[in-house]
Amino acid sequence: MKVSELLEQRRENWQELERLCLIMESRRRKSLGAATLSRFAALYRAACADLALADAYQLPTNNVQYLHLLVGRAHNQLYRSRKFAFGKWIESLLVDVPQQIFQDRCVQAVFCLFWGVFTLSAVFASSEELWPGFAESIMGEDAISQMEESFSEPIDGRNPDQDFAMAGFYIQHNTGIGLRCFALGIAVVPGIWTTLFNAASLGAAFGFMARPDVPQGVNFFNFVTAHGPFELTAIVLSAGAGLRIGFSWIHTQGWTRSAALRIGAQNAMPIMGAAMVMFFLAALIEGFVSPSGLPLWSKQVVGIVSSGMLMFYFLVLGYPRRA
Amino acid sequence: MPDIPQLDSTISVVTPENISFDYRVAGPFQRLPAYLLDLMLAAVLFLFIQIGLALTLGWLGSGLATGASLIIWFAIFWFYGGIFETWMNGQTPGKRLMGLRVLTVDGTPINGMQAVMRNVLRLADSMPLLSLEVLQIPVPVYVIPTFVLGVAVMAVNRRYQRLGDIVCGTLVVVEEPSWRLSGVAKIDDSRAAQLAEFIPPNFRVSRTLARALASYVDRRRFLSRERRSEIASPLADPLLQQFQLPPDTSPDLLLCSLYLRTFVSNRVEGAPRKRAANDAPFTNAESV
Repeated sequence: MKVSELLEQRRENWQELERLCLIMESRRRKSLGAATLSRFAALYRAACADLALADAYQLPTNNVQYLHLLVGRAHNQLYRSRKFAFGKWIESLLVDVPQQIFQDRCVQAVFCLFWGVFTLSAVFASSEELWPGFAESIMGEDAISQMEESFSEPIDGRNPDQDFAMAGFYIQHNTGIGLRCFALGIAVVPGIWTTLFNAASLGAAFGFMARPDVPQGVNFFNFVTAHGPFELTAIVLSAGAGLRIGFSWIHTQGWTRSAALRIGAQNAMPIMGAAMVMFFLAALIEGFVSPSGLPLWSKQVVGIVSSGMLMFYFLVLGYPRRA
Repeated sequence: MPDIPQLDSTISVVTPENISFDYRVAGPFQRLPAYLLDLMLAAVLFLFIQIGLALTLGWLGSGLATGASLIIWFAIFWFYGGIFETWMNGQTPGKRLMGLRVLTVDGTPINGMQAVMRNVLRLADSMPLLSLEVLQIPVPVYVIPTFVLGVAVMAVNRRYQRLGDIVCGTLVVVEEPSWRLSGVAKIDDSRAAQLAEFIPPNFRVSRTLARALASYVDRRRFLSRERRSEIASPLADPLLQQFQLPPDTSPDLLLCSLYLRTFVSNRVEGAPRKRAANDAPFTNAESV
């Protein structure tokens, strides 16, 4: 059979597939019936077969290109993006992820670095004598005065307006820090730098507010107690996940660099997933508990319970089990 | 088939149907406009949400509206691309306008996790951040992303993947907007059909020759007459000798007639009875 006859024979099918592709790409997809959809699949398979045999048919190049486009387009409509698989995520989040985090060297390293620098910085900032001007040089005068201003009013729920604005700001700011540490971790040095810098400035903020001569300290600790555990842990986890990706292309374990990068990413995704859940929980607490007028002890209970949950998650669920 | 590395930026993708088809990979100069479009769209979206918030929550209290708008700013900044690429099958509005689409490296659509991650990791690609204070410009904008790292990584791999793409195993391809089945090329010179009669019936056109014929005939309408014979003669001359046709036969015409015989029909209807090849010279001079 000659190519021209073959083309005439197939042309109708291909053009029908083209029409169906156009419909599938538009919003009218839902209106297609089951019969049409299965017709689409059959036409797609036929076009695939034609493309596979194009060489044997000796199709001219431009027709082969047309078939490539047609098959590519139909392929994109047939295999659509999978949405989020929530059920599977929850299971792995409770079983596999804590074990992985428990043993992950990068998370351990970031944990030590972050909390070490945080504590040191808090100690230096907490007294004027220990290191004069430390808090000012780390955080900047502007940031300090801005913080003093935003915590000047007691948080008792009488001024919900300002409290919600503050909650919004800190959700945006702190989750942003976490994501930034994660994304920059891939380049290792900027990641470590961002993590350490944020650890130092957060620690300095805590230390500065703990000074006896800073009257806003009471309001500050009233605000941060409830959501602090989740949020700071989430920052540590996301920085650890970023560093996990970053070190994978340095220490390749025999893979090519790009393959090592992909494997590192696969290992880091679950850690990042856990961090996202914590950011979400922290945001909930930060939106509804922290700025509310609940008494301080109830916020402390929330903080203690959430710390306990984190301990349980990392130590009990994460403790290596024998198979 | 194309084992030799090509200069043009196509990659072939093997589908679950076990066939491979080609995609054109999008380079930085196609992706940058899409990204800028997305930035503008995000800014407009944020502006409208701001106005909406001011009109609704603004009545209740400006603090609530400020908090909500900060959270929405956060969501748009980090998750604009990820959310759109999940729900629009690998496209953001900007990519859709520019005809781009994100796929995994094996040609399947991306999942939600990949879409979100590759967009969060754009921050790493935008390194190093250039501070405008270096340029001694006192502006309130602290940093501008230079995307040097992303472009450098794109330049060293064949699929133009930026760092976020490599991590998530994705790539950006161009979806060709125009697609038209051109079919078999038309040859309006009737003498091609006549000349086809003189080609020995037992001559088999090899696969490579067929491909060469097809690409020649597809493109010959863009060439002048002299250029046609210049290009056609290295292929046509040995064939003329083989078919024992007069050496002054137009090489272009010979290739056309071979094309007709290979792709259209063995017998061309309306072809006059066979004449001696010398009676009607199929020479270059007469073809107009």
